[in-house]
Amino acid sequence: MKSWTRREFGCLTGAALLTALRPRMALGKTKARVVVIGGGIGGATVAKYLAASATTIDVTLVEPRQVYTTCFFSNLHLAGLRPLEQFTHGYEALTRQYGITVVHESAEAIDPAAKTVTLNNGSTLSYDRLIVAPGIAFRDAALEGYDEAAMEIMPHAWNAGQQTKLLRQQLESMEDGGLFVLVAPPNPFRCPPAPYERASLVASYFQRRKPKAKILILDAKDSFNAQDLFQDAWNRHYPGMIEWLPAQFTGGVTAIDAKTRSVITAGATFKAAVANVIPAQMAGRLAQQAGLANQSGWCPVDPVTFESALQPGVHLVGDAIIGGDMPKSAFCANSQAKACAFAIAADLTGSARFPAHLFNTCYTYLAPDDAFSNAISFKPVDGKFKSVISFVSKVEESSEVRRQAARAAEGWYDAFTHDVFG
Amino acid sequence: MTGKLRNRRVFSTRPVARSAIATALVLLFSQSGAAVGADQGAQLAANCTSCHRLDGHDKGIPPIIGLGEERLTSAMLAYRASQSPSHIMHAIALSLSDEEIASVARYVAAQGK
Repeated sequence: MKSWTRREFGCLTGAALLTALRPRMALGKTKARVVVIGGGIGGATVAKYLAASATTIDVTLVEPRQVYTTCFFSNLHLAGLRPLEQFTHGYEALTRQYGITVVHESAEAIDPAAKTVTLNNGSTLSYDRLIVAPGIAFRDAALEGYDEAAMEIMPHAWNAGQQTKLLRQQLESMEDGGLFVLVAPPNPFRCPPAPYERASLVASYFQRRKPKAKILILDAKDSFNAQDLFQDAWNRHYPGMIEWLPAQFTGGVTAIDAKTRSVITAGATFKAAVANVIPAQMAGRLAQQAGLANQSGWCPVDPVTFESALQPGVHLVGDAIIGGDMPKSAFCANSQAKACAFAIAADLTGSARFPAHLFNTCYTYLAPDDAFSNAISFKPVDGKFKSVISFVSKVEESSEVRRQAARAAEGWYDAFTHDVFG
Repeated sequence: MTGKLRNRRVFSTRPVARSAIATALVLLFSQSGAAVGADQGAQLAANCTSCHRLDGHDKGIPPIIGLGEERLTSAMLAYRASQSPSHIMHAIALSLSDEEIASVARYVAAQGK
């Protein structure tokens, strides 16, 4: 049985929930080895909840980065409202409080037959169960001319960090009266409301500092998430500043010319002062290499155990998976990760199984003091995630209700990141 | 004399000691036949912690620690009945059975003791 250190004893309040999740200890038995690849929201959550669920499970988390910067809330940095460091989290607590081994290397290959993972330093890790949380990758050649060099000129800022800072610097040094072009991706993509939240918060920055600037959204779609809420807010907060052009008007964005900082559609070329190009997406690189993704580019899974439909013994959580109504959000990744951890813990230790509950909640900013929220619950039905209950804020809500939501969003961020990394 | 006793009592139930007792009880239950209920409450409470902190240090989100089992149960039933004041809690409460609400309320209430 685990012996408590003084430090852990001091942390009991936070750890009490996790302690209660532990099933009976199998004394003297060799520990089951679980490897988690990817230390984003899904990967960090599944590692933490597995390690906490049973002392008989040995958890290794493979993540090349020393720290993780959340994509959610990074639009506040683009608006100049927060330093990005405020949204950056380390893995120390996962090691200190939950005994997780964090390996800062990248996983290069998976051998499902030998049950090993090869790391970029040449070493291999053996596993009894593998969980892959690879996040997203950009589709190759989705936009002609948008290569790695172009990303340094016209950033995507769709993985938070250096790209977010680059886009912020460009917005800051842009002259008043400049055109900010935002290229919004086709479905499905990470965080459906995020491109439009980004336009909203950048507009709030322009309104304060560059009131003659304009924002043009060139969309690959003909409609978007919570469109009525966004368009109502754009009319109220930023009249005349944001223009949204659906694919049916432009024919869609076909190419990028980084030299002239231009975005090219079927019928026109738009020259930007600053451009944010968010390309089409698919499951992360490792999922593609390891045969975990199907023709859609995403990874089908069993909605109860999160085991891959293509590779037995390998589980997936987070943005990379498909199979029904769950959007690609941090909240969904966190919710899936807990259900996956409990399913694997039950399998490995023989502990009781209970029906999992899957949820999504997103807080989205329309302005610094105007936010809306949604809430959806999901159930596994016929092998897919089915949305069963869904609510979203309404256009006619009072400004006080929206101010409260903006305050609640801050509290949610604090509790949520504590749940994942704390 | 009474005052001294009261002081000692206050001292003996300070938060760290109380949470240690709660944890010890939970550990005990989780290794006995009562594990099923305790574990289900703990698994359900994992949904709470996506938005609420179990150390009670919430900032801008209503805390759920220190409320007691009955108050948590009646709050969840009220959330289930109405979309106001929180459509988020309404969606969550609607997805839980009576037994699940009782189980998670029992578990979360025990964390505050």
